Amino acid sequence: MTAVSQQTPNPEVVLRAVGLAKTFRLGFFRKRVEAVKDVSFDVHRGEIFGFLGPNGAGKTTTLKMLMGLIFPSRGRAEVLGLPVPRLAAKRRVGYLPESPYFYDYLTPEEFLDFIGALCDVPSAERRRRADRLIARVGLDHARGRPLRKFSKGMLQRIGIAQALMGDPELVILDEPMTGLDPIGRKEVRDLIVELHAEGRTIFFSTHILPDVEMICDRVAIVVGGAIRNVGPLGALLSARLLSTEVVLQPPPGAPLALPPGTHQHTGTDGLRLDLPEGADVDGFLGTALAAGARVLSVSPRRESLEDLFVREARRPAGDKQT
Amino acid sequence: MNRARENDRVSTIGPMLAIARNTFREAARNKILYSLLFFAVLLILSAVALGELSLNEEARMIRDVGLFGIDIFSVLIAIFVGVNLLYKELDLKTVYTILPKPIARWEFVLGKWLGMLMTLGIQIAVMGAVLALIMLAQGGHPDAAVAKAVWLLFVNVTIVTSVALLFSSFSSPFLSGFFSLGVFVVGRSVPDLRQLGARAGGGVARVIDVAASVLPNLHLYYPSGTIVGAERVTVHAQFVSANYLVWTTLYGLGYSVAVLSLAMFIFRRRDFV
Repeated sequence: MTAVSQQTPNPEVVLRAVGLAKTFRLGFFRKRVEAVKDVSFDVHRGEIFGFLGPNGAGKTTTLKMLMGLIFPSRGRAEVLGLPVPRLAAKRRVGYLPESPYFYDYLTPEEFLDFIGALCDVPSAERRRRADRLIARVGLDHARGRPLRKFSKGMLQRIGIAQALMGDPELVILDEPMTGLDPIGRKEVRDLIVELHAEGRTIFFSTHILPDVEMICDRVAIVVGGAIRNVGPLGALLSARLLSTEVVLQPPPGAPLALPPGTHQHTGTDGLRLDLPEGADVDGFLGTALAAGARVLSVSPRRESLEDLFVREARRPAGDKQT
Repeated sequence: MNRARENDRVSTIGPMLAIARNTFREAARNKILYSLLFFAVLLILSAVALGELSLNEEARMIRDVGLFGIDIFSVLIAIFVGVNLLYKELDLKTVYTILPKPIARWEFVLGKWLGMLMTLGIQIAVMGAVLALIMLAQGGHPDAAVAKAVWLLFVNVTIVTSVALLFSSFSSPFLSGFFSLGVFVVGRSVPDLRQLGARAGGGVARVIDVAASVLPNLHLYYPSGTIVGAERVTVHAQFVSANYLVWTTLYGLGYSVAVLSLAMFIFRRRDFV
């Protein structure tokens, strides 16, 4: 795991995993399957924390350990300073499970009232909160409809609403954008930002990287059941130039001399060149312009979260980070 | 990590009652239960026709067949719903939403059980009311004996529900149903089982004795035709005493608490994968 220095000195930790591991025994022969091997991270108060990993990396198992649904084989977890699964901590946390399924014979109002009662919210306040949350997640039109008639996106919205019924200070969302269309994803993203602006801490797992890049303060990357990287996004991404994309209209006549290792293809707007790291971009552009080429754009490409994610996912366990 | 420790608050029964109310609401919206209730009422109504066939025994026939109908259908409903109580929550993954809320696992199990008893209590009350109405319509008078018999049947399903819920905490509905029905059938035959053991003698007697002690004695709740306190018990005449009622109710509650405790113990140690 790569330790990255924190931005804020001594921030308050609201969620802590220390060496969490889970081994399941499956099948007739009780074969051991290590779903989570070693997961450690801290989530600080007031941040949006992204928990990233490819499918099967152990994200959901980790979240279930944090919520007390699964007991770890090793390690420990603390929520709001209390060991999991203490009720005093659960009272201050809102959780959305992955691909949520709810009591489908209930309407959104009935369901949220039920969840409010579980959170010990007084009856009148339950009604107020349910009303507000139904409107907030955009389900006003479906108030009286039983949940069995809800689409996947609508279920995801009511799932987020139920996570907020207890007015939690820490919101934990397992794959909140999965199954949503682009508009739905944006709405959930905006909602997360709003919740953050209200002072709540948000921890969510996902494998949809653009969402993370847009809203997360810090991320942890889990691969094969172990944390590979954790820290602020800016500190994790390499600042070095990976390549430079140049789009130009080539001069008539003799072809341009390209730097070694340059990839090229012809697009609708012209010739698209991808000059490798270390290529003499200025020299190439000078030569091209002198030969009569028309340069349309020059874009330096630095490491993206996707590059980092793919790099970490491909790196064999135990390898030093490059 | 501690597998069990989660009760660190001053417990309120609000969340547990919310589970009970929701369990009741789920049953109330289950069409299959209405079908079972319909058939139970049909069976009770058929007692009138059977009563016509019996000479001078119409009233007794109506009581006996009516109580038989309440007994069988309440047990069927208890097993049908009971075996699904926890299994369905796991299978449909609703438990992933509920257990992260501030409710202990044992409260969840107890809430489900209470909700189930609310459902069965109302169903038995409806069936008992239908029986009483039929008796009145036939010129009879539903007396305390019938009320006591109906109460015993409610205690009976309290035990059956607890047993079904126990099996539901670790087994599939099919197996749970099979085992629960087995416990009901054998539990109803505990006096016969003991007699069989006494006749067999030796090791067999001891095995049967242990089995009869571990299984619930459900015969206590449908005692017609047997000897209780040196008296032959019949539903239609001199029925069981108030003492008998209190004692069997306490036995039923005690047995249910023991079985429920075991269900809670299993449930609180489970991983919800």
